[in-house]
Amino acid sequence: MGSLFRSETMCLAQLFLQSGTAYECLSALGEKGLVQFRDLNQNVSSFQRKFVGEVKRCEELERILAYLVQEINRADIPLPEGETSPPAPPLKQVLEMQEQLQKLEVELREVTKNKEKLRKNLLELIEYTHMLRVTKTFVKRNVEFEPTYEEFPPLENDSLLDYSCMQRLGAKLGFVSGLINQGKVEAFEKMLWRVCKGYTIVTYAELDEPLEDPETGEVIKWYVFLISFWGEQIGHKVKKICDCYHCHVYPYPNTAEERKEIQEGLNTRIQDLYTVLHKTEDYLRQVLCKAAESVYSHVIQVKKMKAIYHMLNMCSFDVTNKCLIAEVWCPEADLHELRRALEEGSRESGATIPSFMNTIPTKETPPTLIRTNKFTEGFQNIVDAYGVGSYREVNPALFTIITFPFLFAVMFGDFGHGFVMFLFALLLVLNENHPRLNQSQEIMRMFFNGRYILLLMGLFSVYTGLIYNDCFSKSVNLFGSGWSVSAMYSSSHTPAEQKKMGLWNDSVVRHNRVLQLDPSIPGVFQGPYPLGIDPIWNLATNRLTFLNSFKMKMSVILGIIHMTFGVILGIFNHLHFRKKFNIYLVSVPELLFMLCIFGYLIFMIVYKWLVYSAETSRVAPSILIEFINMFLFPASETNGLYSGQGHVQRLLLAVTALSVPVLFLGKPLFLLWLHNGRSCFGVSRSGYTLVRKDSEEEVSLLGSQDIEEGNNQIEDGYREMMCEEFNFGEILMTQVIHSIEYCLGCISNTASYLRLWALSLAHAQLSDVLWTMLVRVGLRVDTTYGVLLLLPVIALFAVLTIFILLIMEGLSAFLHAIRLHWVEFQNKFYVGAGTKFVPFSFRLLSSKFSDDVA
Amino acid sequence: MLEGAEFYFNVDHGYLEGLVRGCKASLLTQQDYINLVQCETLEDVKIHLQTTDYGNFLANQTNPLTVSKIDTEMRKKLCREFEYFRNHSLEPLSTFFTYMTCSYMIDNVILLMNGALQKKSVKEILVKCHPLGRFTEMEAVNIAETPSDLFNAVLVETPLAPFFQDCMSENTLDELNIELLRNKLYKSYLEAFYKFCKNHGDVTAEIMCPILEFEADRRAFIITLNSFGTELSKDDRETLYPTCGKLYPEGLRLLAQAEDFDQMRRVADHYGVYKPLFEAVGDGSGGKTLEDVFYEREVQMNVLAFNRQFHYGVFYAYTKLKEQEMRNIVWIAECISQRHRTKINSYIPIL
Repeated sequence: MGSLFRSETMCLAQLFLQSGTAYECLSALGEKGLVQFRDLNQNVSSFQRKFVGEVKRCEELERILAYLVQEINRADIPLPEGETSPPAPPLKQVLEMQEQLQKLEVELREVTKNKEKLRKNLLELIEYTHMLRVTKTFVKRNVEFEPTYEEFPPLENDSLLDYSCMQRLGAKLGFVSGLINQGKVEAFEKMLWRVCKGYTIVTYAELDEPLEDPETGEVIKWYVFLISFWGEQIGHKVKKICDCYHCHVYPYPNTAEERKEIQEGLNTRIQDLYTVLHKTEDYLRQVLCKAAESVYSHVIQVKKMKAIYHMLNMCSFDVTNKCLIAEVWCPEADLHELRRALEEGSRESGATIPSFMNTIPTKETPPTLIRTNKFTEGFQNIVDAYGVGSYREVNPALFTIITFPFLFAVMFGDFGHGFVMFLFALLLVLNENHPRLNQSQEIMRMFFNGRYILLLMGLFSVYTGLIYNDCFSKSVNLFGSGWSVSAMYSSSHTPAEQKKMGLWNDSVVRHNRVLQLDPSIPGVFQGPYPLGIDPIWNLATNRLTFLNSFKMKMSVILGIIHMTFGVILGIFNHLHFRKKFNIYLVSVPELLFMLCIFGYLIFMIVYKWLVYSAETSRVAPSILIEFINMFLFPASETNGLYSGQGHVQRLLLAVTALSVPVLFLGKPLFLLWLHNGRSCFGVSRSGYTLVRKDSEEEVSLLGSQDIEEGNNQIEDGYREMMCEEFNFGEILMTQVIHSIEYCLGCISNTASYLRLWALSLAHAQLSDVLWTMLVRVGLRVDTTYGVLLLLPVIALFAVLTIFILLIMEGLSAFLHAIRLHWVEFQNKFYVGAGTKFVPFSFRLLSSKFSDDVA
Repeated sequence: MLEGAEFYFNVDHGYLEGLVRGCKASLLTQQDYINLVQCETLEDVKIHLQTTDYGNFLANQTNPLTVSKIDTEMRKKLCREFEYFRNHSLEPLSTFFTYMTCSYMIDNVILLMNGALQKKSVKEILVKCHPLGRFTEMEAVNIAETPSDLFNAVLVETPLAPFFQDCMSENTLDELNIELLRNKLYKSYLEAFYKFCKNHGDVTAEIMCPILEFEADRRAFIITLNSFGTELSKDDRETLYPTCGKLYPEGLRLLAQAEDFDQMRRVADHYGVYKPLFEAVGDGSGGKTLEDVFYEREVQMNVLAFNRQFHYGVFYAYTKLKEQEMRNIVWIAECISQRHRTKINSYIPIL
């Protein structure tokens, strides 16, 4: 219980790290994850810190590694992920590693650049061959159809004439041919038309096979075009336009032989290029494969190294510059581990002077550390979501382990549903080591992380389901009902007696739609059902009235017990923080206020249950009226629950009324008295009563330390804390607000617990509706078709049960249970103003590639 | 637009507005600038920018880092964001975006033509072009020899085409003419953009019109200032002024007559908005330049644009603020790399 009941004791330790061994020491600490570093250079901006150069070097290495990973992924080489994470590299190896990586990068960049160049060359050659092949047909076509070139609008007849003239002359006729991106063809043509005013002929055809762009890897469709023009000026313009549209222009052969020659030359060159390219790719693959083996460990190592330097940046140098001083928070229980880690680090680096540590007293509030295991983690998370507990205060998570599933189950009481939930959670728990569950999607992971909560919620739901006797909205008759219908027919009485007692005969049964069992008739009610609600209520028409009364009272009782428990936990807090006066002036009046009003209500409920039986039920007074009368003092005395009730109630009311002013004024006045009578209490005493979180040991420790070291800085801080302003108005204000909140809260919070009743009612009714609307319909059809119908009906029933009743209703009950804990329970004692202890641990670094690449 | 357009605004543009507001929140804060100014080298700047929303945008740059590398990467980042907005926009917001790019397109065209005049290769100049104003036909600009050529051959299908109505001429494109062309284009562009915003109505008009009016007036002032001592005639000068500003018409006429800075200042004195700006301009060395004062005013207006909801002005304002931030970073980086730290603090803070 110890570790979960309160957060662990922390101490502030000063580490003196010899500058030669600091790195190794931190590496050892990081592996263990023991301590949280404090930033001692807060006002130094990030680039002015000591180890900025080393951090930069790590970033450079990370950049290279990211590049390697990217190249390896592109080459589809699997990246092996190591099982164990390698330790941070020793300083001597870092240089070596850096050199090695840099060399690798340079090599890789060169090879890829070569490869890209080769591929680009190859692409150009291929494009050229394509172009030659396609344009051959153009020229033929041009020659054949020239006189009746249809694509030209008739307007340009004169220019066509010009063109043929020029061709006949054979002067200055030029061709530009090449490839153009598919999307740009239209704009290209338009621009050509506008600029050259029609003095060009463009022909183009789509290339059958799309080509891959070597730079982006995109597959693009190309068009081959051939522009015939004449005149040098127009030629210039055409070329410029081609440039503008990023056309790949290739020289156009004028004669057939030339074309053939070029084509042959191209073919051989393409062959050569292919072989060279293959060789380059093979080599590249080899390099990458070799790199892939060590990349994982390098990535982890660099990450660790960077983390270490970030931590070192938080340390300050001592005057001689020979050793680094770090301030860390460390759990007291782990101090010897910390020492050992330091020794290990020093030994590893072979330093002559070992690094050492000493604890220093502090006034600051340490961070909160509550060690959890896989079972308690989920419950701790529920509490932490409200607020991380203040240092050393009572941790509600311990009690939440039981109360949370229980309150949930009160709202979710159905042992069929509970059992399904339990099975699901059990499945998760049994397979918790399955790797796929750990890396599943967000929603699934949410269920997975709360698997133990779910497990307990399911179990408790089975229990409350048994109490409510509810299984998929039906009751189970395990022990035989305590009610007997046949006793109503009892023939041992005379007809007159029968009429008087309300017994049944044939005519009564035949003419009444609703029959009522009377428990006061002997033999009808044979005693309570052994566990929970009698199954016969499932058939009764007044079932709801009965259950409502039961559940309402139950939720009030549970709620008041829960809240009272919260107030009692507050006493533990006051005891621990040595503020006994808080117990007398705050907790006790609070308890009295609560118990005198609502405790008495519980008493009345239980009293009425026990004292009144079936025979006397007609004279039983209403609890509601009695409770209201307690405050109103009616003139006419009613016959109450017991004799002397009026006096008891008046006494309780008096106690309640008295506790209110104590609650309002007690603490402020006491503190004022303490402040004024400070001289007789001694300096240190009054100091620490004002400061909440220091225990006596710390104060004494501080005193001795001060004398020993005379550490000015700490002393100053201490003085400052002591002279904390005593502001009576503020204390009074806080206390008044707190008291008003508490007194009103008692009433509204009790009402709030009625949600237990409301939700359990809603759940029961919803499952009842589902049953009547679906399964009953299926069961009513006669047997021949019924079987066929029942199958889909049951399937639908199952689906709706899971989605509406289990998931939706479960979620709503879960949220309400959370609310009851956060608001109604925890505001009675829990401050939740702490900060979480975040140790410097390598385990918190992610060990995945995806993060580096992104 | 219908009355109460804010009811429907979020249907079409709500996502983008949310996004742009988020982006605006990522602008560098005063503290960031203070830290940046303290940097010793460009590497420090890089490290500091890593802690801001720029993130690892320089991570893949090989050493050594230069100011221009930082600049291009920042521009790329802005361009990515802008393209994202633009690709996800619906009418009429997409038209609004097109209008926004037009000013960059004009600058690019002029830049290319100037380059062609100085016989520089297109590729060399393309690098300097603003990525927001890129368009396919851009590279063919140097084919043209006269403005009408330019229009007919190259720009007729671009969004710039409507702005050419005033500047069709057969003059050859020398340096002065290019500058005239730029100003004329800009004038028609501003007027068209202003009309678009005015017609759109609603909050967009309420926000964008003052910004554009200011932009127009600023151009008028700058044109005047730059024309002192050049061969530009006063009549010509007047034709270059955008007419959608607060100065129109009397102020522009007076400006056209102005002959030196003091006369210009006297014109500005008639206007409550510009008087304080001119008063803030320092004399000679040490004080702020007119340009800086205008920039500050612009930043102020753009920041204020974020105080209202359901309008397109936020996109304009964000782009302008981001540009100002980039100018600031470049300024600081230049000061650092040239070891010229005395003026490092004269960046324009974005409040």
